[in-house]
Amino acid sequence: MNKNIGVYVCSGCGIGECMDAEQLVALGSDEGGAAVVRTSPAFCLEDVQLIRDDLDSGAVDSAVVAACSHRVNADVFSFGTAFVERVNIREQVAWSHPPNDPETQEIANDYLRMGIVRAQKAVAPTPYTEAHERTVLVVGGGSAGLAAARDAARAGYDVVLVEKGASLGGYAASLYRQFPKRPPYRALAPIDVAGSIEQLQSLPNVRTLLEAEVVETSGQPGRFTVTVRRDGADELITAGAIVMATGWIPADADTFDAYGRGRYANVVSSMELEAMAARGSIVRPSNGSPVARAAVVVCDGKGDDRHRPYGGNVSSLVALKQALYIREQYPDSIVYVLYGDMQTPGPYEYFYKRVQEDEGILFSRGDIRSVTENGDHDVVLEVESTVVGGPVRLSLDLLVLSEDMVPATADAASGALSLSYLQGKELPTTKFGFADSHFICFPYETRRTGIYSAGSVRQSMDLAASAQDGSAAALKAIQCIEQASAGAAVHPRVGDLSFPDVFLQKCTSCGRCMQECPFGALETGEKGRPVLDSNRCRRCGICMGACPVQVISFADYSVDMLAGMIKAVEMPEDDEDRPRILVLACENDAYPALDMAGIGRLQYAQSARVIPVRCLGSVNSILIADAVSRGFDAVMLMGCKAGEDYQCHYIRGSELLETRMQNVKETLDRLALESERVTVAEVAISESDKIPAMIDDVVQTVKEIGLNPMKGF
Amino acid sequence: MPTTLDVEPDLGFKREILGLGAQDLTACYQCGTCSTVCPIATTENPFPRKEMVWVQWGLRDLALSNSSIWLCHQCGACTTYCPRSAKPADVMAALRDFSITHYAFPRFMGRALNEPKFLPLLFLIPAVIFTFIIGWLGHLSALPDGEIVYSKFMPIVYIEVVFIGALSLSIIAAAVGGVRYWRAMNSDANDSGRRRLPLIPTLLTILKHRKFKECASEPATARETHKEHLYKSHLLVFYGFLGLVVTTTAVGIGIYAFGYLTPWPFWHPIKILGNVSGIAVIVAVAVLSYRRIIDKEKAGKSTYSDWLFLHVLLWTTVTGFTTEYLRLADIRELAYPSYFIHLILIFVLLVYFPYSKLAHLVYRTVAMVHNARSSPGAEAVPRMLS
Repeated sequence: MNKNIGVYVCSGCGIGECMDAEQLVALGSDEGGAAVVRTSPAFCLEDVQLIRDDLDSGAVDSAVVAACSHRVNADVFSFGTAFVERVNIREQVAWSHPPNDPETQEIANDYLRMGIVRAQKAVAPTPYTEAHERTVLVVGGGSAGLAAARDAARAGYDVVLVEKGASLGGYAASLYRQFPKRPPYRALAPIDVAGSIEQLQSLPNVRTLLEAEVVETSGQPGRFTVTVRRDGADELITAGAIVMATGWIPADADTFDAYGRGRYANVVSSMELEAMAARGSIVRPSNGSPVARAAVVVCDGKGDDRHRPYGGNVSSLVALKQALYIREQYPDSIVYVLYGDMQTPGPYEYFYKRVQEDEGILFSRGDIRSVTENGDHDVVLEVESTVVGGPVRLSLDLLVLSEDMVPATADAASGALSLSYLQGKELPTTKFGFADSHFICFPYETRRTGIYSAGSVRQSMDLAASAQDGSAAALKAIQCIEQASAGAAVHPRVGDLSFPDVFLQKCTSCGRCMQECPFGALETGEKGRPVLDSNRCRRCGICMGACPVQVISFADYSVDMLAGMIKAVEMPEDDEDRPRILVLACENDAYPALDMAGIGRLQYAQSARVIPVRCLGSVNSILIADAVSRGFDAVMLMGCKAGEDYQCHYIRGSELLETRMQNVKETLDRLALESERVTVAEVAISESDKIPAMIDDVVQTVKEIGLNPMKGF
Repeated sequence: MPTTLDVEPDLGFKREILGLGAQDLTACYQCGTCSTVCPIATTENPFPRKEMVWVQWGLRDLALSNSSIWLCHQCGACTTYCPRSAKPADVMAALRDFSITHYAFPRFMGRALNEPKFLPLLFLIPAVIFTFIIGWLGHLSALPDGEIVYSKFMPIVYIEVVFIGALSLSIIAAAVGGVRYWRAMNSDANDSGRRRLPLIPTLLTILKHRKFKECASEPATARETHKEHLYKSHLLVFYGFLGLVVTTTAVGIGIYAFGYLTPWPFWHPIKILGNVSGIAVIVAVAVLSYRRIIDKEKAGKSTYSDWLFLHVLLWTTVTGFTTEYLRLADIRELAYPSYFIHLILIFVLLVYFPYSKLAHLVYRTVAMVHNARSSPGAEAVPRMLS
């Protein structure tokens, strides 16, 4: 299809002083065959109307705007459904290369060529708009679940709240007091579970199902079908999005045995102490007598071999709180608080100080060496590495062990959603078993689009934080419902209407796309071919990168399009001073970092040609082979950190690229090319200062190994 | 393997230390920043953190039986650097105060010097003694006639009897306190007790003010601590005080050995030494007081016993000068009363020394000797961090 393309060359923001706009104009109309070519000293001001007029009159159907980065002025250069390609000659040309230099001009020319190719090949996507269910399903009726249900309902959405137990409230119902909730953060606060439940039940659009369990979840955002079992009967519930607030479970007993629980009568867990405190009778369980000496141990396993991955900051706060319980009941008692690390985040530091002021509460870091019992059932605790100056022996009426908060997802029987997804029933977790997809940037996003985790299933947290978390996850669920009904991506390509399209006739049913999709968006269809659940998709293009026969593409993003852009770069022949380096930069971190390098006026090698990609995982290895056979002297894949502490916005993209690099190396070997020509560079969004050196390194490598011998073939 | 300590907290002790100006102790979260900046801390002896914890835990015996609190020369780096403003320097000062009372013999005297309600009693004792003598001599109704000569008012022999008698008792009491402290320090150390006491090196260290100098030269990094002036100020007050002691002793020798009766002429070397020493003490006390007022944070909290001692020292010296100059000015109505007050102040300053701040003469020296003996070469304390 030959489209009527309009090329708009802006000369504002220093572009005009850096390069010859006339060359770009000529290139657009001659080589590019554009229907209309215009220039302006600032297209982002009133001249934007020129573009709109061309589109409205039908003279132009796709606009190529050679100006600033697509990361800025997106609202200005948006014209309904018309395809707009932004050619970045500001941040990545005018601001990062010497002005009025033939090589700089050449970069701008190449970028315009690429832009025109992309505009020729791209089609405005037609969204999938078949899923309109607006109910929010909340699983778990604890602190987070109650808040999520309440806030979703208040925002006008129907809510179904599924709770496994016989009553709502979760752990909050069995706790005596909670940590201080407001300044000056000194006094323990009462817990009003009944109030929260009442508040929820007063909302007409909330349906609460008690003693109910989710036995199956299928479908996609905007249209999940969830089977809920109650009293042996199954009920089908359709929901637009799901908030998973299934909370935590106590650590398995084995880890506690080392501290004497189960063996000695006067060793209790923090949950048992809560129960005693709530009854107002903290006593020695062995004989019901008063407590004069007690210890509260934060079992974080620091320094000993009993590693406790879930002994987080909540345990520290619980220990502080419970020391106060005991002191409150027995003003003459002494309570030791023993810990590996005392973690009291944020304003809870004030609470810590308050507890320290209590003269009967004695603190020390220490490792528990042994827990034994004497004839009177006193617990004898030996602690080493204390700050007292050596091992100490404490004779106690009561030893309290802080409970570890293991996310409910760690136990398949507890709180699972039983997903009927090809990739498995469980919700994928981070390395510590929390149902979360990214440890910094995107809280609540699990790796199953439309399912949002909240509360201590996501991260160990206290009641107040869980409630906040529930509210936030409810907002994510609502956002998801709204976006899904419009066929738009929720995250991180918010509003993207495209989705992968599989040309099934050529599909070999290898199944790689279905396996590699980080979000389980592709299910197996007829003849083992993939079927897409469109709203599960986050539009990363990892399936496109995975497909060995390149039959997966998006309306505005495809292997063919990228190959065309690579081909559009004019390749100088055998000029040692003019190598060409293809940089495929991830649009999430690497491309913004390149822009920021330009904003900071950092200069880097003029031989680089940057193409933004949705994710390094979307780079099909055939593109790298294409680039080297086209004569590129090197290919840089610039993206996010892979591995355990990944920063990939699609979780596995960078990791998958690394495995694909093996194929790339084989391809290079076959072409008798040096494997150093293809490198992967990890760039965080904040590392724009490192970009010049990274590119220079590649230029240096090319100098050492020589130009690509394939040039000119 | 160190022996396991059976913990028995004494919260009463903790309360008492908190009450001695160390109430910020509760904020200590035992990080050990104090020990990394302390010039006397070592890896094995994380002073003052361990003392902070001992007080927090009410471990009275441990807190009172170690030498570190007296080896500390109050540079205040710990307080300057404490991230929680727990003011370790104040806690150490409180511990020293408490130690003086704790080891005091008789115990009542320890309390008397630390509680304001006993203040009148402290002055009443010498006042009664000297009033009785003056009354006995008949000077209560009429001051001596003629040229002002203080021995006419209060013959030297009476003074000698009172002071030698009282000071002998004080010295015995101080010795008892010192021995109690020494024994306490030995109780938890497996000490052979056979080695000779390194008295001479310790004395040299004190005379040279080496510890103060080490504190002052310790570059704890950028923050300014209280230590900068301490070396000079203490040196001044120390030698000023010593000068006055030498003057008094020399005058005694002059009178008894050579019959060289007072008053001595103004230009006499001993007289000059006395005057210069007096000025040195006044200057030093002024600087020390000024620092306590101005540098509150760095100097640490000033307690009742701090101010009592500084005042007594100041006014003893001041009345020394007024006594001297009123005599020269020949104003008998003021000169004799001034002398009378001067004598009372000297009594309070010297006779109560085992219980006042001056008791550090005993306890600090004992601690330094003990430390030098149990760890030879302790004059050069290994650094925890350089």
